Amino acid sequence: MVTPGEHRLFAGGPVTPVVNAEKLTSSSSSSPGPVVVAENLRHSYDRRRFALDGVSFTVQRGEVFGLLGRNGAGKSTLIKAMTTLIQPTSGTLRVLGMDPARDGQRIRRRIGVVQQAESFDFTTVQGNLDVYGMLWGIPKAESRQRREQLLAKFDLGEIRKRRAFDISGGQKRRVQVAREFMHDMDVLFLDEPTVGLDVIMRRTLLDSVREEVRRGLTVVFTTHNLEEADYLCDRVAVIDEGRILVLDTVENLKQFYGGKKTIDLTVGNGDAPRFFAALTERLGSRVTVTVNGAAAVVLTDDPKEALSKIAELSQTLGVQLEWLNVRKNTLEDVFLRSVTRGGETLAGS
Amino acid sequence: MQVPNVLRLIYRNIWVNTDPGSLLILIGLPGLYLVFFGFGFQSITSAGGGGNSYLAYLTPGIMGFQVVMAGTVGGSMLWADRRWGMLSQLLVGPFTRLQYLLGILFTSMLFGLGGAAVMLGVAYALLGSAPTQLVALGVIFGSITVGSILFGSLMLILAAVTKSNTAYNSIQILLLFVVNFASTVFYPLSSRLPVVLKVLFEVNPLTYVADAVRGAYSGSLTANDGLQILVLLVETVVALAVATRTYMRSDVSYE
Repeated sequence: MVTPGEHRLFAGGPVTPVVNAEKLTSSSSSSPGPVVVAENLRHSYDRRRFALDGVSFTVQRGEVFGLLGRNGAGKSTLIKAMTTLIQPTSGTLRVLGMDPARDGQRIRRRIGVVQQAESFDFTTVQGNLDVYGMLWGIPKAESRQRREQLLAKFDLGEIRKRRAFDISGGQKRRVQVAREFMHDMDVLFLDEPTVGLDVIMRRTLLDSVREEVRRGLTVVFTTHNLEEADYLCDRVAVIDEGRILVLDTVENLKQFYGGKKTIDLTVGNGDAPRFFAALTERLGSRVTVTVNGAAAVVLTDDPKEALSKIAELSQTLGVQLEWLNVRKNTLEDVFLRSVTRGGETLAGS
Repeated sequence: MQVPNVLRLIYRNIWVNTDPGSLLILIGLPGLYLVFFGFGFQSITSAGGGGNSYLAYLTPGIMGFQVVMAGTVGGSMLWADRRWGMLSQLLVGPFTRLQYLLGILFTSMLFGLGGAAVMLGVAYALLGSAPTQLVALGVIFGSITVGSILFGSLMLILAAVTKSNTAYNSIQILLLFVVNFASTVFYPLSSRLPVVLKVLFEVNPLTYVADAVRGAYSGSLTANDGLQILVLLVETVVALAVATRTYMRSDVSYE
């Protein structure tokens, strides 16, 4: 029998359930409240700069919560705090209703974590899964069964006898993710799990996560890849310099920009800085221009007017337009706008 | 029945660290010392009429030397777990930091005891005799247990504070050289030694382990050996406390 609140992986399969004695007596395991509650969380590694600077959010049971941000934005620090690896400098954090500072081990028994960095035991691919099953106290027969299912699911069967250190980066990542599914959990923390995966495996992984979410798993997911967040997440928080800039459902975020259109623009010669500087000035403050080398993304209410100004400027300055495309907004646009404008617009909305 | 976490971690440590190459080095290196140093130096001492005495002297010393090998196993395990990301992965699993630390120390101890048992067999083959009294065996394996935890703790401190593989290996080689050769493993403490070396010999915990094992091996334990074992115990407690404190505060990631 599976205890309330516990997510059983491979539900419906012939695998014998793992019953954790502690969970049977844990009152918090069946609590219906949020899975993660963070209030004004701050953390500094060096007492000079805050990697987390007043972060507040909640993660509800059964949802996929996405953390989007650039490198060094604070995503991994937040994951480390939630997985009890670091203790925040200040603020309040509750995971599964418990305090990570006091109940770290009880929390860790009920979570799964795929860390951003590689992690392997010095043994074969199959051995890595077996060791993990043993560490989590999965009975041998069940562990073997799960291992076989996961090796097949993540297409690792052919390399099962190879040492984990001798396989490619993408294969390593698959082993890491597969290994985490060896045990049951209530919450799964995925810190950029798709880095290094090819398109097919990426989709396999995301679909596996979706499948488990349908069965009740809660997932906290960090990524740079906005398509993935769009595909997987119920709600996303855009984080930058240790602060949450925007937090809402993916749909709401996109709807907020619904009246606007995005123009993708690439110029062909070395005059890009001059061109974009002039364009930004000419389009005025109601239009956002995000420049990246010879390319720019223009977010506007009036694409017609913007296009005519772009064409006019291109002629005036003699700059060739290599690529021009008008499209609806995506999560990427929300992200770019949030991190470049500090989320002012949404925060004020 | 749930297997205690520390036992699971010990099992995992043995599982992932017992490839034939590592085992050969762990057990083979002390054996090589015994063969090369034992027969090499004995050929000199027997030329002067020393008989089998150097080999008989060296054998229990090499058994004691297993504690250093055990210590390096402990340090290497922590270092490798940090290097390959398993330390932080285990620490977001169902284990506490203390359980992880004890898992490493007890694994080191098992390697030390296993190596000493093998050396006992090798010694029997070379000398034609080995201690059989329970008290002697108790002192031998007791000293090796305590010594393994002591050197395991020292190597864990080193592994916890060093930031690069090169630094860890360089410091370890230097430490091992001083610990091995400024001890009574290979030669007795002589009054003719320079003062600095003499002090090093006397404060070196490996000297205490080697002397205790040698005393038990030859059936000549003295009150001084008992005192040395007591000092060894105190040093082990201190080293364990420092190792725990250092490791608990250390960064679990590898940069």
